[in-house]
Amino acid sequence: MDADSDVALDILITNVVCVFRTRCHLNLRKIALEGANVIYKRDVGKVLMKLRKPRITATIWSSGKIICTGATSEEEAKFGARRLARSLQKLGFQVIFTDFKVVNVLAVCNMPFEIRLPEFTKNNRPHASYEPELHPAVCYRIKSLRATLQIFSTGSITVTGNLDLMHTCSELHHSLLMDAALSCVGSRSSSSGPNVKAVATAVEQIYPFVFESRKEIL
Amino acid sequence: MTGRVCRGCGGTDIELDAARGDAVCTGCGSVLEDNIIVSEVQFVENSGGGSSAVGQFVSLDGAGKTPTLGGGFHVNLGKESRAQTLQNGRRHIHHLGSQLQLNQHCLDTAFNFFKMAVSKHLTRGRKMAHVIAACLYLVCRTEGTPHMLLDLSDLLQVNVYVLGKTFLLLARELCINAPAIDPCLYIPRFAHLLEFGEKNHEVSMTALRLLQRMKRDWMHTGRRPSGLCGAALLVAARMHDFRRTVKEVISVVKVCESTLRKRLTEFEDTPTSQLTIDEFMKIDLEEECDPPSYTAGQRKLRMKQLEQVLSKKLEEVEGEISTYQDAIEIELENSRPKAKGALANLSKDGSGEDATSSPFCEEDTEDEELEAAASHMNKDFYRELLGADGGSEAAEDADGGSRPLALESLLGPLPTAASLGISDSIRECISSPSGDPKDSSGDGELDLSGIDDLEIDRYILNESEARVKAELWMRENAEYLREQKEKEARIAKEKELGIYKEHKPKKSCKRREPILASTAGEAIEKMLEQKKISSKINYSVLRDLNSKGGGSPPRDDSQPPEHTSTKKLSRRKRAATRNSADPGTSMGKRLRPLVSAQPAKKAAVGEIMAVMVTRMMATEWNSRPGSIPVLDSKCICL
Repeated sequence: MDADSDVALDILITNVVCVFRTRCHLNLRKIALEGANVIYKRDVGKVLMKLRKPRITATIWSSGKIICTGATSEEEAKFGARRLARSLQKLGFQVIFTDFKVVNVLAVCNMPFEIRLPEFTKNNRPHASYEPELHPAVCYRIKSLRATLQIFSTGSITVTGNLDLMHTCSELHHSLLMDAALSCVGSRSSSSGPNVKAVATAVEQIYPFVFESRKEIL
Repeated sequence: MTGRVCRGCGGTDIELDAARGDAVCTGCGSVLEDNIIVSEVQFVENSGGGSSAVGQFVSLDGAGKTPTLGGGFHVNLGKESRAQTLQNGRRHIHHLGSQLQLNQHCLDTAFNFFKMAVSKHLTRGRKMAHVIAACLYLVCRTEGTPHMLLDLSDLLQVNVYVLGKTFLLLARELCINAPAIDPCLYIPRFAHLLEFGEKNHEVSMTALRLLQRMKRDWMHTGRRPSGLCGAALLVAARMHDFRRTVKEVISVVKVCESTLRKRLTEFEDTPTSQLTIDEFMKIDLEEECDPPSYTAGQRKLRMKQLEQVLSKKLEEVEGEISTYQDAIEIELENSRPKAKGALANLSKDGSGEDATSSPFCEEDTEDEELEAAASHMNKDFYRELLGADGGSEAAEDADGGSRPLALESLLGPLPTAASLGISDSIRECISSPSGDPKDSSGDGELDLSGIDDLEIDRYILNESEARVKAELWMRENAEYLREQKEKEARIAKEKELGIYKEHKPKKSCKRREPILASTAGEAIEKMLEQKKISSKINYSVLRDLNSKGGGSPPRDDSQPPEHTSTKKLSRRKRAATRNSADPGTSMGKRLRPLVSAQPAKKAAVGEIMAVMVTRMMATEWNSRPGSIPVLDSKCICL
């Protein structure tokens, strides 16, 4: 009991999703032919480009929008995005690096105890939903931080910060969902996106409730 | 207020709403009755000599709304569509519920959930079957019936996660807190399906005891309840000498064989499995085990520690490898200064022809590779002399082809860095001639700190590599390319034949403007032109009535058209109720609650026609087939 109050929790960021625009049309066929680290997905009209350092996978659309996934920090995501832009410049495109934004952060945090999911769900009813037939974790939503937490019985908590498309995007300008997300990002430049501080605050908020439903060690 | 007593809480404070036709208890809020029109039952004598009840059912959505023509016509249309949606929903709920063997109370609750979903527009963008299944599952969870989401998924042949998503959305939007699933709910159902006969109860009790033990050992958290039920029932059946195979349990419980085996293995790891049957039935262990996933995580950590120990042992071997690596690096460093020396001598003595050749002669005697490189550079050097260029420029561009040499000769002697920069600019201009200002602005915005251009160059292929990659891509996507060619050929063929039709985007249906007419006859004409109310009404007879009624002049022109038509319609309705014949009297009695009492005026032929249309519209809301023959006979009489 006494030691629990002094436990230091490690929050490990495992994925950062960011987007930016090149403000010029990209010839996907040219990128596919001249790039050594690209995969051309003709069916969906996109090119996947992979960087080794930092380890990033980028989805390149012909409209000039690029989605980077796989970074483990925001600085790494920015650095990888700039290297991608430089690669496209080397291929001959007039790249203008604009509208860089982090749209999603995925973090993992391990509690030193096990959690009783049914009891936790009953105590935090409006925000927590637990459906063992669908998913083994409790889905807990924090509206103010725009964070979604997946709480497992072993004490592992996965925090995801993402934009709420249904509330922020009244009409979709593109047929693809990712393009819709990008439109929302572009139109909401004043709002703050997900970041590491929001993830840490989410974990701080959830700790007292999780602590109440922990497994008692006899 | 009535002397009625509420069934739920026993209170007598009951509120009656005549407009909506329902009775609500103000204490607990339960709806006692929702179809109050009249409390009397009247009978009339029909032509066959028997008696029939007077009256008809009024739709919930239609109650409290007076039917009107003109501007309010579309409200009725909207109501009718809503009523049809609810009717279809009720029918589907009863159909699905009967397959799941739910009782009437559950079906009514599911229909109430469906009505709430429809009123909140949660059915938009989703299939009706999914919403109905989600409502039924919501009832199963709130009422505690032993039904799984997998059962509904099985009946509808829909992905269970699609139904789950719809269910979660409904539960969140309707603010309904479904209680957590207890695996004990399913034990009697599965035991009954496994046909244990007289010992069904005993086997169920043993399975319940096993399940309680599993729950205490944290085996149920995060797991589907059916898997645990299957494992518990299998063990209980074996305890009571029933030879139930794994396949039989799997078919009843609807889980995979590996899932059942995994649950049994996890149960084997708990201390309960060490007890004998008699000990298990008597002793209750106090300990709790860790969750199985936690145990698996601990095992993984132990494996990592073992790997660390192995890596420490490998450090000795790595020492030898590093020694070899150092030796190789030393040899490489020894070979590099010689080349540097040769290049330095070459650059220093570039101006003189005789001085340049003498260092080459000296180096030839030392190393064969250096000799080959020197001869190669010497050849390029001699070629440049023919071009009459400077010696240093020629030496630096020895590796390039003829085209860069020409460019360099045109530009004349320049520093190395500037030369490379200009070459890059020229290449970019050739690729996109009109991109110069954008290129400079783009370079300005991109921050290149920390970016290594040499590393990025390795990502770009040359021409031969690009050709090879194109061939590989064509081979992998040959099927897709063939489909594209066939599609284009088909389109071209259809264009030649003239059959091809381009897919035009569907136009969004425009909203109809409210009907503006000066007379009732004109309004009815426009309404009939836009849409026919029902396929069971004889419209030709209505047209004959319309032609007769069209001749009557308007009574008052100074009033607004809508107000005038509404007022006239109400007057004609009241007049018709009093002046109609005996068959019309019963019709008038049925519609009496909808008509307010006011003085009436003279009736005309057009008025009778308007009232007939009103009655037909009112009849349609009730959707009773019994009332249509009377209506048809009325039309025939007219």
